[in-house]
Amino acid sequence: MSVPSMANFIVKRPWLSRWMVPLSKWYKDAAGYRKLGLRSDDLIPEENEIVQLAIKRLSPKEAYDRVYRMRRAFQCSLQHQLLPRQEWTSDEQDYQYLSPIIEEIEKERSEREDLESMVIKKPQPGSKVK
Amino acid sequence: MFSRAAIGRQAQRAASRSWQHQRRGLAEPASGSFQYQVGDAQGVKIASREIPGPVATLALVSSAGTRYQPVPGLAEGLERYAFKSTARRSTLRIQRESELLGSALQTHHSRENVVIGAKFFQNDLPYFVELLAEVAAMTEYKPHVLHEEVYPLMDLLHKKYLGNTQEMALNSAYGVAFHRGLGVPLQPPSNLPYKKYLDADNLADYASAAYAKPNFALVGNGVSQSELSKWVGEMFTDVPSQASYQFKPEQTKYFGGEERIAHSSGNSFVIALPGSSSPTGGFYKPEVAVLAALLGGQSTIKWSPGFSLLSKACQDTPNMFIDTKSTIYSDAGLVTITMSGSASDIKSSAPKVVEALKGVSQNIDKEAFAKAKALAKFKELEYGQETSAAMELTGAGLVHGGKAYQIDEVAKSVDGVTEEKVKQAAKDALEDKASVSAVGDLYMLPYAEEIGLKV
Repeated sequence: MSVPSMANFIVKRPWLSRWMVPLSKWYKDAAGYRKLGLRSDDLIPEENEIVQLAIKRLSPKEAYDRVYRMRRAFQCSLQHQLLPRQEWTSDEQDYQYLSPIIEEIEKERSEREDLESMVIKKPQPGSKVK
Repeated sequence: MFSRAAIGRQAQRAASRSWQHQRRGLAEPASGSFQYQVGDAQGVKIASREIPGPVATLALVSSAGTRYQPVPGLAEGLERYAFKSTARRSTLRIQRESELLGSALQTHHSRENVVIGAKFFQNDLPYFVELLAEVAAMTEYKPHVLHEEVYPLMDLLHKKYLGNTQEMALNSAYGVAFHRGLGVPLQPPSNLPYKKYLDADNLADYASAAYAKPNFALVGNGVSQSELSKWVGEMFTDVPSQASYQFKPEQTKYFGGEERIAHSSGNSFVIALPGSSSPTGGFYKPEVAVLAALLGGQSTIKWSPGFSLLSKACQDTPNMFIDTKSTIYSDAGLVTITMSGSASDIKSSAPKVVEALKGVSQNIDKEAFAKAKALAKFKELEYGQETSAAMELTGAGLVHGGKAYQIDEVAKSVDGVTEEKVKQAAKDALEDKASVSAVGDLYMLPYAEEIGLKV
């Protein structure tokens, strides 16, 4: 499930992004998931059909890495520890690997719903086709 | 005798029909021509014939069949991936749009060609030319589509294939006769091809070669040549004009031999002999078609075994299926005699079949020969009239030699066949090594040596 994002709105307005970018950096850091070696996309709740399908569509390497990160984070959480600093997720590593796939699946579903609920108007004889 | 009322009804019907004839303008043709008009639009080879009626058929015939695939499973993968999501439209949209227009999308593949096409109302021609152009140039080959939609389908087809001994025996006979190339089975005989070889990357590579201008032709039925060439010229602009790699056109060589496969449900036995290439190829022998009709096996009339030699030879085993087919490809062909039924029936009939075959090389009954010639011609014309077959042959002919498949000419060449030629064809076939394949109860099914064939 994708979450509503204001990123585009903010990026388009330089004055606003000057304010928001440091704020988001601070927030991501404070959220603490990076200190457990996770990425932001790892935090998406996976208990639903769409995300399950998206996880299946990951490349084998991505899927393996995802499971590895989660197990490592889980272990850290059990031990009440954080990872050593050099293993924290860096800014470049924290890219969206799952969200684009989720958005694609949502697009497919909404297209299907649109097509199912489509009303077909047959042109009447005599009426002009627009 | 006929009742009065019946005669009255007949007469009325006849009268109304003659009236309709009069209503038709004199300038309109009574029936469309069978001849394909051949042309070229922006480097794309096109052929079309006008047939009166509201429904038209358009097919993209690509010479990318199992024969040319560099690794197994690609041809079938390409066929099953047709009409899946493109850069412009999703799979679902393509399906729904074509449903709304009241059309049928169809794909199939053979040993030499992959055919993707559609049947639709004549007015919708531009839409379907655009759709085919999109499939050819803009299909996005994605791993997850293969995993979710293509592999499961191939898996089911593979299971179906494993249950069908006749299909297995036929494919095995092809393998024995031609080894690689034409001998590659039409359907993957194990799940290895799509588990190991078929993936999105090499499918995309294969598609870029299959849908390059030199490797495909567009064939239309019931569409006018001018319309077709106009729309093809407009829509097929993104298709690559050079293939990324060439399909190797190696001359097919006939080997022959024997293969036996154990199977617990059903028995099939195939005897295959070298045959004739298609009329557009270089080794065309019309007498082979007559030989196949003469051997036959299946009757074309009801409640009678028919005139064919094999149905007469196998009169004692009426529950056994037996049929002879002459299958033609661009540079070679195969005459296959297929038997399917209980193992004991096949055991008792197989020697009689070989006897009949040897009999043909010695002496042919005049009347049976005349019937066989008529049947061969009828089958050829019927086959050519049936749109899908004629379109594939025409497309393949265009890709390989720039010649369309003209059934009128083919029928003429069947007329010229003499008894001597058929005898010679049978004699040549027997001198060569036969390709024999047995699938089923191997204890009962005979070896080729036992029924008097050379392998």
